[in-house]
Amino acid sequence: MKLTVNGETHDVDVEDDMPLLWVLRDELGITGPKYGCGIAQCGACTVHVDGVAVRSCQLAAGDVIGDVTTIEGLGTPSALHAVQEAWIDLQVAQCGYCQAGQIMQAASFLDMNSEPTDAQIDAAMSGNLCRCGSYPRIRDAVKLAAIKLRRV
Amino acid sequence: MRTFAVALLLATPVAAQDAPTKAQGLAAWDDIYAVTSHPRCTNCHVGADGIPMWDGLTYGADAVHGMHVLAGESRVGAETMPCRTCHIGAQSGNATPHAPPMIDDAWRLPPAELAWLGKSSDALCAQLRDPETNDGFAMDGLATHLETSAFVAWGFDPGAGRSVPPGTLDEMVVALNLWAAAGTPCASDP
Repeated sequence: MKLTVNGETHDVDVEDDMPLLWVLRDELGITGPKYGCGIAQCGACTVHVDGVAVRSCQLAAGDVIGDVTTIEGLGTPSALHAVQEAWIDLQVAQCGYCQAGQIMQAASFLDMNSEPTDAQIDAAMSGNLCRCGSYPRIRDAVKLAAIKLRRV
Repeated sequence: MRTFAVALLLATPVAAQDAPTKAQGLAAWDDIYAVTSHPRCTNCHVGADGIPMWDGLTYGADAVHGMHVLAGESRVGAETMPCRTCHIGAQSGNATPHAPPMIDDAWRLPPAELAWLGKSSDALCAQLRDPETNDGFAMDGLATHLETSAFVAWGFDPGAGRSVPPGTLDEMVVALNLWAAAGTPCASDP
């Protein structure tokens, strides 16, 4: 089957029911999305499909309809996405394992809701777990990213 | 009660059958309420706060949906985290415990006016027979909805150890048609 990931189309020879996360990591070597729980309880595997945050551990390869974006395709070191900038500005990450999923979730959320309330930020980000407890910095970074995006 | 209602319907050839009595209609309603008040339905048929429930498995009767989920006015989580972030819109065997169930439809909450959670039998009876509060359905349309909705079909076969409402979908449709033929009576009707 053909999958378009970060603007590049790949021909992959996998079973239809292989989770997209497996395809990305094991077939395509795109390791930004992380395996955490495998049942959509943690958010570490979050990617975008046509801009919408999706838990890639739950999406079967055969059910992918649309273009996939991973953290590798969100921005580049020389042209960071506003959410990535905010993450660096506020030094959000501690161990960093969950951060690709956090950033992808936040980027999709702010694309849909450019002026979120604090309660909406909490609700949008509560499906992404951080065992280091960096939640206060995550919340601050989402607010900062929202401001940055409104300036664009 | 279900057996009673269905037996009443089947005992007499349809052509020779008069309209069901109010008592028969109320018996059919009891069967309907046993389904519509079940957590498999009320977990999503929640009010304007848009907070789904997780009554089932090991979570407990008062458990709200994890991840602080707020479906919002959109009822699909568009303001925060879309339902489809986890509930993929594709047919699935739904065999993995605690993984998000999926169907071949866009996962969403019903409109807030279709809130069933915590409603008494009489309140829900009045709600379901009124097109203003049943999503605009006439009774035959409601039966068709039951027969064709991917959500309803999943509710009777949710997989992964989730509890199921009493009876079958076919029995639910029979009960609905009987209740409708009896004039959609509710217990508090004069």
